[in-house]
Amino acid sequence: MRTAAAYAPRVPGVVHVSHLTKVFRVPEREGGMTAALRSLFKRQWREVRAVDDISFDIEAGEVVGFLGPNGAGKTTTLKMLSGLLYPTSGDGHVLGHVPSKRERDYLRRMTLVMGNRNQLQWDLPALDSFELNRAIYRLPREDFRRTRDELIDLLDIGDLVRKPVRQLSLGERMKVEVVGSLLHLPQVLFLDEPTIGLDVTMQRRLRAFVAEYNERYGATVLLTSHYMADVEALCKRVIVIHHGRILFDGQLDDLADSFSTTKTIEALLEDGERVSLSVPRAEISQATAKLLAEHDVLDLTIEDPPIEDVIEQVFATEATA
Amino acid sequence: MRPVQLALLYLRLNVMNEVQYRANFFIAAFQSLLSVGVGLAVLALVYSHTTTLNGWTESELLVIVGVQILLSGVIHATIQPNMERLVDEVRDGKLDFALTKPEDAQLLISLRELRLWQTVDVISGAIVVGVGIARLHNSIGVGHAFGFLALLLLGALLLYCFWLILATGSFWVVNMWFLADLFEGVYQTGRWPIGIYPGWLRYSMTYLVPIGFAVTVPAQALTNRLHWTTVVVAVCFGGALTAFTRWFWQFGLRRYSGASA
Repeated sequence: MRTAAAYAPRVPGVVHVSHLTKVFRVPEREGGMTAALRSLFKRQWREVRAVDDISFDIEAGEVVGFLGPNGAGKTTTLKMLSGLLYPTSGDGHVLGHVPSKRERDYLRRMTLVMGNRNQLQWDLPALDSFELNRAIYRLPREDFRRTRDELIDLLDIGDLVRKPVRQLSLGERMKVEVVGSLLHLPQVLFLDEPTIGLDVTMQRRLRAFVAEYNERYGATVLLTSHYMADVEALCKRVIVIHHGRILFDGQLDDLADSFSTTKTIEALLEDGERVSLSVPRAEISQATAKLLAEHDVLDLTIEDPPIEDVIEQVFATEATA
Repeated sequence: MRPVQLALLYLRLNVMNEVQYRANFFIAAFQSLLSVGVGLAVLALVYSHTTTLNGWTESELLVIVGVQILLSGVIHATIQPNMERLVDEVRDGKLDFALTKPEDAQLLISLRELRLWQTVDVISGAIVVGVGIARLHNSIGVGHAFGFLALLLLGALLLYCFWLILATGSFWVVNMWFLADLFEGVYQTGRWPIGIYPGWLRYSMTYLVPIGFAVTVPAQALTNRLHWTTVVVAVCFGGALTAFTRWFWQFGLRRYSGASA
C-alpha cells in the first residue's frame, strides 16, 4: 500500500474559489402558438445568475458537502471547477490550475463523477473500458493493474467487471463507473450526486468507499447529494447554496445552530409515556427545568432537529425573505 | 504517435463491440452491393447515349464512381458516427466526460466511433476503381499510385473538416438531426466529374462542400489529367481548412455549456 502522502502533498487551499459567477442567457417565451412564432423572429432573452459571487477554500484531504435544492447552482459550480464551463467572472483555482484552461496536468489529477450518467462502453465488460482509461491517462501498466485490483477489491466487484456493462443493475453500474473514474488516483474528486437512484445498501457501500478512498489517498472531495445520509456520513463541513449564493459554510454540526430556531426535547416519563417537544432555543433550559419539576422523568435527551428539517427550513426562510 | 495509438485503441474496442452484431455485416454488404449496382447502372445508361462526358470516358468515370463509393465507406465507418455522437453528446451533456480527459478533445471526439461493417464500401469502392483502371489500358506509375493515395487521404481530411464544422454548429443549434441527410444528398453529386456542373455549383462543391477535391481530384491522378496546380491548390486548401476547423472547434467549445443538470 502506498502512503497517502505520495499522492497528496498537504498543501493548503486545494480548491480556491473567489467571487465566482456564472450567468446563463436563456431564451424565454410565453406558451402558445403566437408566442412560438414570434420567438422565431425576435427572441427574448433572460439572464440567469446560476452562480452568484461565491467564494470558498477547501484544504487538502477535506470532504465537503455541497447542499442545495435543484437549480441552486451546485452542478454549475462543479462544472466550472472541472473546466467544463467558463466562469462569467471571478476566479477559481484547483490544485494551482485554472480549470477552464483544461491543462493536461490538471485533468490528470481530478475526476468528475456524475450519478446520472455513465461513460463506460455499454456493450463491453468494464475491464475493457478501464484499459481505455489506462491509455488515455497514460498510466504505467504495473501501477494501473495494482490500483485497479485494489479498487475492485475495495468495492468487491470482481465478478461485475467481467460482464457487459449493459447487463449490470443501476447500483452495480455506478460502482463500476466510480472505479473507472478513479483509476488514475485523482487528488480531487467532484462527485455530483453519486448515489442518486441507488438503494440504501448500495448508497452505504459507495459512501464507505468514498470515505476509504479519501483516507487512503488523502484526496480532496467535493460532493453534492440530495441524501443527507451521504453528507452526514462523509462530510464534516458543508456549504449550503441557494439561488447561486452561499447561505452557509461551516461545520455540519453548526448548521443547526445557525439556522434552526428550535431544539427537540425527548422525554420518557415514569408512566411509560414518551413526549417530544419542539422548543425555541432560548427557552430550552427553562422548559427542561419545568418538565423535570412537574413530571417524574426517567430519561431525557435534547437534540437538534434532523438535518433534513434544518435544511428545509433554511431554504424556506430564504424563499420568504 | 499519439493519434495513431489512440486510434488503434478505439479500433480494438469497436471491433470487439461490432463483432457482437454480425447481422450488421450482411446488411452493410447488401447496401454496398446495391449502391455499386445503382452506380454502374446509371453509368451504363448515360454512356449508352454518349461516349464521353465532359471529356471523361466510361472507364474513367468508373474510377470516379469507385472513389466516391470508397470515400463514402470512410465517411460512414468513421467520420459520420463520430460526428453524430458528438452532436448527441452536446445535446445530452455527455460530452463532459470527453472534455474532462487529459487528452486533446478534438482528437478524442474524432476517434471514438468506428462502424466496422461499413468498411465494406471501402473494399467495393476499391474494386470498382480497380476495374476502371484495368479497362483504361494505360499503365499507372508508382508516382501516380502514391499521388492517388495521398490525395485520397487529403480528400478524407477535407470531408472530416467539413463534417466537424457542421457538427460544431451543435454548440449553437442544439438539434442537428438533419446533418446526415443533408450531407448524403449533396454527396451523391460527387458521382460525376466536378467539371460537368455550372460554375457557381462547381465552386461551392469544391470549396464549400469539398466533394470536388475529395472525389474528382484523386480520380484525376489515376486518369492522367492531374495538373500540378490542382495539387498545390488542394494541399493549400486542405491546410487552411484544417486550421480553420481547429479554430472553429475551439471557438465552439468555449460556447459549450453542457446540458445543465
